[in-house]
Amino acid sequence: MIDVNDLTFSYRKDKKALHGLTFSVKDGEIFGFLGPNGSGKSTTQKILTGILKGYGGTVSLFGEDVRNVHTQEFFQRIGVLFEFPYLYANLSALDNLHYFASFYPEKQRRDAEELLDELEFKKDFLKKPVSSYSKGMRQRVSMARALISNPKLLFLDEPTSGLDPAGAVLFRKIIEKEKKKGTTVFLTTHNMLDADLLCDRVAFISNGNIVALDTPRNLKEKNNNHSIIITYLYQGERKEETIEAPELKTGIPFVYDKLHSIHSQEPTLEDMFIQYTGRGLA
Amino acid sequence: MWNDFFGLLKKDFRLMLSSKFFLLALGSLVLYSCYINFVYVKLDQEIYPVYLYDPQDTQSVTSEYVTKVESREALEAAIADRYSVGIVLSAGNPELYLLSSGLETTDHYRMLFGEAVLNGTVDGQAEVIGVNNKEVKNRREITAEFLFFELSAVGFLGLASMLFKEKQMGVIRVHGILPICRPMFIFSKLLLLLISDLLFTVLLTNINLGLLYALEVLPAVLLQAGILSLIMALAGFLCAVCLPDFKQFSLFYLVLAVFVTTPVFLAGQTGIVWEWIIYHPMYHLFTAMKSAYFSMPTTSVLYYLFCFGSIILLFILACQTFNREIAREG
Repeated sequence: MIDVNDLTFSYRKDKKALHGLTFSVKDGEIFGFLGPNGSGKSTTQKILTGILKGYGGTVSLFGEDVRNVHTQEFFQRIGVLFEFPYLYANLSALDNLHYFASFYPEKQRRDAEELLDELEFKKDFLKKPVSSYSKGMRQRVSMARALISNPKLLFLDEPTSGLDPAGAVLFRKIIEKEKKKGTTVFLTTHNMLDADLLCDRVAFISNGNIVALDTPRNLKEKNNNHSIIITYLYQGERKEETIEAPELKTGIPFVYDKLHSIHSQEPTLEDMFIQYTGRGLA
Repeated sequence: MWNDFFGLLKKDFRLMLSSKFFLLALGSLVLYSCYINFVYVKLDQEIYPVYLYDPQDTQSVTSEYVTKVESREALEAAIADRYSVGIVLSAGNPELYLLSSGLETTDHYRMLFGEAVLNGTVDGQAEVIGVNNKEVKNRREITAEFLFFELSAVGFLGLASMLFKEKQMGVIRVHGILPICRPMFIFSKLLLLLISDLLFTVLLTNINLGLLYALEVLPAVLLQAGILSLIMALAGFLCAVCLPDFKQFSLFYLVLAVFVTTPVFLAGQTGIVWEWIIYHPMYHLFTAMKSAYFSMPTTSVLYYLFCFGSIILLFILACQTFNREIAREG
């Protein structure tokens, strides 16, 4: 679906934003693109969505070079959710969706009301202006805008930002549903939980370079020291022991009266990111 | 494609409605019309007072416009207002004596009036100017000026304020990834603003000139209004795209008003003579508008070529700048 080869880009002659990125995204895959602010995520997304030209290397989407794609047809096949919910504040959710949907062929469009219903949008607000919505409601309308054209390739930038935990769970379910339909998702996020739960593969980007690219499980596995922390009670005293996983083959290798908990020490995706890039996701 | 364009038009129309654009235009229409009908048409310039100093008493004063003074000092005091006209008959031959008002044209009129009073050829106030009586002349003049002001100021601001709203809401970014022909995004705004400006022109002209005179001048006036509306709207759009926020835009607008429009009004409305004003493009638009209101439409091919060339150039520039803005914001 997406093939990027040796992608470079400079905003100024002396300031390179991307240093030869190479990666590919398969059809129907959810691909996570993780990086701190200023790492080159947005620049990459702008190039992939055909907004930014003048880059080096090759970028192809749907098997065609982005430089040569006919923009009208190209934009009909992609959906983009921006980091912030950009909507007409004077129009209602329905009017916004009808307006944005009007640029796509009729047979391609989804029903705006059904879509909003799926996103658990409050029905009372359907015809009220967006200016009266909460951030979560605006994010739902924005998601509906990205999905209304039934895109084959979906770019999502921080999809769960501004949502309460229930809303975040709902959005993850919707993204998974899109994947089941065969939609390819390019997910840009700071949220490690989203990346961990949703992505088939993730790429860590730092200072315009991809420093790691693999499945979340493999990334964590590669750096797992397989240690286990056991909390237990012995002679009335609460104790904690750290052991290596193979030691468990023969049972608990120490005496105890009662076991409290056994925790594997698997590193998180964020730990991995810090390890690969030397900095956090701020 | 037509569906897309209709969608854009509908959205822009609602944006204009919500920004109270039409209400402002209606307010301007009422304000201008009230001023024209209740104030301006009744305005009349006070006739130049004429003072005569005739020490030998050679002239028997019969004219109602002449006031006789007893001494040269009294004459000098009377004309010190730089408006009155003095006539001295001490040397036998009449001499006009006046202090310059600073405007060559006005001084010339004062001199002519003084001579006419002396020769006894004044038959009352000037009533007929060309084919217009004073009221019609006043109506045509002020309507042309108000329309020029409205289209220059509001046309420039109207489209720009719409774009700033869209920039502020961030929806410009969304248009960067829509399967839309980008020039249509500008074109729909232009079309709406043009229709609104032309409607304003028709109403302002009809209300203040009367149906008969309005029908006579409207074709030429609408052409000039259309040209001015498109040029100003595109200039406003360009500035709104290039400038990051409304504060900077307002400052730019102020500079534009002071340094670009004011000289045109001064050169067109007062006796100030600036030779360089012919190189000022707005001056030609202003005089073309006035000529259209006085049923003498501009026929210069060069003028129309320049106007349509400017519109095309501004449109191309607006499209390119808009594309750059989308890439930057995207």
